[in-house]
Amino acid sequence: MSSSLLTPELLRRLEQFQLLAARRAKSSARGERRSRARGQSVEFADYRNYSHGDDFRYLDWNLYGRLERLFLKLYEEERELPVRIFLDASESMSFGEPRKFDFARQVAAAIGYVALCGFDRVSVVPFPNAERGAPSAATHGAAPDVAMPPAESAARGALRSVRGRKSAMQFFQNLGQLTARGPANLNQALRRGALEARQAGLAVVLSDFLDPAGYEPGLSALVGRGFQVDAVQILAPDELNPTTCGDLRLVDAETGAVQEVTFGRYRLKAYQQTVRNYCQRLREFCTGRGINFFTASSDTPLEQLLLKQLREAEVWG
Amino acid sequence: MSFLAPAAFAFAAAIPVVIVFYLLKRKRVVKLVSSTLLWQKFLAETQASAPFQRLRHNWLLLLQLLLLALVVFALARPYWAGDSQSSKLRVLILDASASMRATDVPPSRFEKARAEALKWVNGLGDYDQMVILQAAANTEVKQSATSDRSALRRALQACAATDSPTRLAEAFKLAETLIKNRTDAEIHLFSDGAVSNLGEFENKNLPLVYHRIGERGENLGIVSLDARANPENPAQRAIFASIGNFSTNAQSTDVELLFDNQLLETRPLDLAPTNTQPLVFIAPQTKDGVFTVRLSAKDDLAADNQASIVSLMPQPVKVLLVTRGNRFLEKALKGPAQVQLSVASGLTDSADAFDLVVLDDLAPAVWPAVNVLAIHTANTNWFSGWETAKTPAIVDWRNTHPLLRFVNFDNVQISETLAVKAPAWGVSLVDSPRTPLVIAGERDRQRIVWIGFDTLQSTWPLRVSFPMFIANAVEWLNPASENASHLLVRAGDPFRLGLAPAVTTAQVTKPDGSKQPITLEPGALEIVFGDTFRQGIYRLKAGTNEVTFCVNLMDAAESNIMPRDDLPLGKYGKVAASTLRRANQEYWRWLACAGLAVLLFEWWYYHKRTA
Repeated sequence: MSSSLLTPELLRRLEQFQLLAARRAKSSARGERRSRARGQSVEFADYRNYSHGDDFRYLDWNLYGRLERLFLKLYEEERELPVRIFLDASESMSFGEPRKFDFARQVAAAIGYVALCGFDRVSVVPFPNAERGAPSAATHGAAPDVAMPPAESAARGALRSVRGRKSAMQFFQNLGQLTARGPANLNQALRRGALEARQAGLAVVLSDFLDPAGYEPGLSALVGRGFQVDAVQILAPDELNPTTCGDLRLVDAETGAVQEVTFGRYRLKAYQQTVRNYCQRLREFCTGRGINFFTASSDTPLEQLLLKQLREAEVWG
Repeated sequence: MSFLAPAAFAFAAAIPVVIVFYLLKRKRVVKLVSSTLLWQKFLAETQASAPFQRLRHNWLLLLQLLLLALVVFALARPYWAGDSQSSKLRVLILDASASMRATDVPPSRFEKARAEALKWVNGLGDYDQMVILQAAANTEVKQSATSDRSALRRALQACAATDSPTRLAEAFKLAETLIKNRTDAEIHLFSDGAVSNLGEFENKNLPLVYHRIGERGENLGIVSLDARANPENPAQRAIFASIGNFSTNAQSTDVELLFDNQLLETRPLDLAPTNTQPLVFIAPQTKDGVFTVRLSAKDDLAADNQASIVSLMPQPVKVLLVTRGNRFLEKALKGPAQVQLSVASGLTDSADAFDLVVLDDLAPAVWPAVNVLAIHTANTNWFSGWETAKTPAIVDWRNTHPLLRFVNFDNVQISETLAVKAPAWGVSLVDSPRTPLVIAGERDRQRIVWIGFDTLQSTWPLRVSFPMFIANAVEWLNPASENASHLLVRAGDPFRLGLAPAVTTAQVTKPDGSKQPITLEPGALEIVFGDTFRQGIYRLKAGTNEVTFCVNLMDAAESNIMPRDDLPLGKYGKVAASTLRRANQEYWRWLACAGLAVLLFEWWYYHKRTA
């Protein structure tokens, strides 16, 4: 399964990376990240006066010898970095050649793999949650949405919390079980994710950000909760350079909304400008809130994004 | 408001077509896309703002209909009748003389001139006015000042070239009157420049633009023709013709002589460049008829390749000499052939039996009604008064007049003469500083030659010029030759004929065979026929009287069809042919039509592409 998402060669190269977090880890579970908490590690942090009941093992006897006062040596506590990957699994992600969703899963797998190798906790949050989602436009007006296959439900459950490098293969398998369906509600998913997280950490949002309701409240909620956010916008080649011309009646796959458009090659530049403007607004919004933002077409070579763009942006190093 | 081209409203039929286009339902291709968000933003950025989006198509329809209506309206050329405040006046003078019938520019110079003039009509500004004059032997106003282009075009179409010589002076005078007090007026002359002297306009500073028409001047022409009795054999006729070569190359032609359309003689002729050569044909004549000289060479101008002259059989001239005795005069009068001389010492009747009366130093009791040669006598009707002048010196004489042909007044001294003022009915032929000495003219259809001095009181009878003058006078005063000279008409000049009072109708048969009736007023004594613009033989039938007369070009200036680069105005002035001034060609109609076509095509193409 891993081969369908990431090549062994890519995995080998990803093993060299470690997710870089600008903020100290706030997780309560022990891990390999420096944190503000004091605890057991080899990294000296500070001294404090001995108080009754402290462990004698941490007394600095050399200091006692010079000063005849008892000081306790404090060490930094190393904790894990919770990594939450918000994966857009809405109907719109199933478009494109190659599919945007496949590309998003590959990116999620790569980020997850780097995190797992760094003993960080990875949780993948696919949205929409089909159990609560509305019927999609593809099935709009037809039979009610079919229930999610049990295998996918199980996979979603298993992806909520993954830790340890040995879980990587299972992690990849579970990612492969996911499907894209239903209308997305980016804001709702991000807000819920921000609230549900016990500790803030690294949040990676993989989406096309083409939600009519916008993206601002969701991203703001994540930032407000203290997450360090990396946003990756994935667009299909056809969305960047439409090839269908003429008088078109466009149907939105998620909402079923209809838009009549007369399009031709002569309007291609204007359209591309519109896309650029949209992405630029999104980038400005993210930059203004300290969010790392990336745009990728789904036909972009994966290595280009992972080994170059993300590395240069110091998402990992 | 009126319309110059109401037919253009037919274009309004395109309006329903546009509406039909709007009625057509568009077929759209349904496509499922990931999100319409980007498309909505794209449309929002490229289209009008939302409040107008719903109305957009309707506005487009209205705008297109409005555009179409405006185009159609413009094509109909609406105008308001009214005085334009700052309008230009252009006077177009179209030379319609014989030289403009030259075919060096196909189909002819005149057609070329008409086409050029038409360009100027088409380029006429909306507020500009134009006058069209046709100048030939006389000037015709074809269209008075107007801005109506269709009227101007009609006027141009109505113009036609004639076989007559050009008299541009008249046209210029008329144009000058028309543009008087107009600062922005122009006179446009479309001509080949074959014009006579325009010296009187030298200092007028006419705003003249000369459009030269024509390319070359390959022409042979008959420039003069005369038929006289052969001096050596009165039964024969001598026909004098001058043939001119007006081209810059030597030319050869056959000259044919016909009598009443029967070929008498053909003579080959070689002419050096720009040379004129006289020819004399001798032909017997037994009846009245028409001699025609014809050139066989093909050249650019056909009008001067043929000339005709009516030749009547010679009739005896009955001359009455009233004198106290003048042997010199008597002898001189006997000189010309055909003269039957009677001599009397007084005159008591009007001498109707004679062709002419010679009054020698004697006032008759009754003044004759026939033509008169009056010597040293005066009628109070002729002059307002007279005195006597001693030893007048002869200072000038008009040797171009037929009376003074081969006559000169060198060594003529006069003792005494009557001194009169030159009358309106005649011209002075011989002048002294104080008084005219010889006057010739026509008064009430009576030809008069007046000599103010007594010939016996002068040395003139001793000079060879005296018998010559008398012979010329007999010829000029002879009613038969006078009539014969009337029978030779230059193109464009009117033909006149005296009439018996009872005649009320007349008919002219033209050279092309068409007949033109002439209505005569009761009691008319003279018939005047002015439509002599075509060269050839005309036959006039008035009552029982039938007269043949010939119309010829016979104008060397007109036969010289070489187009002139400059139009001479007097000795120093000239107008150069315009090469830069071109008519402004309007093409807004074509643009409007193209706009209409593009509008329809755009709509058709749009629907074709989206269907």
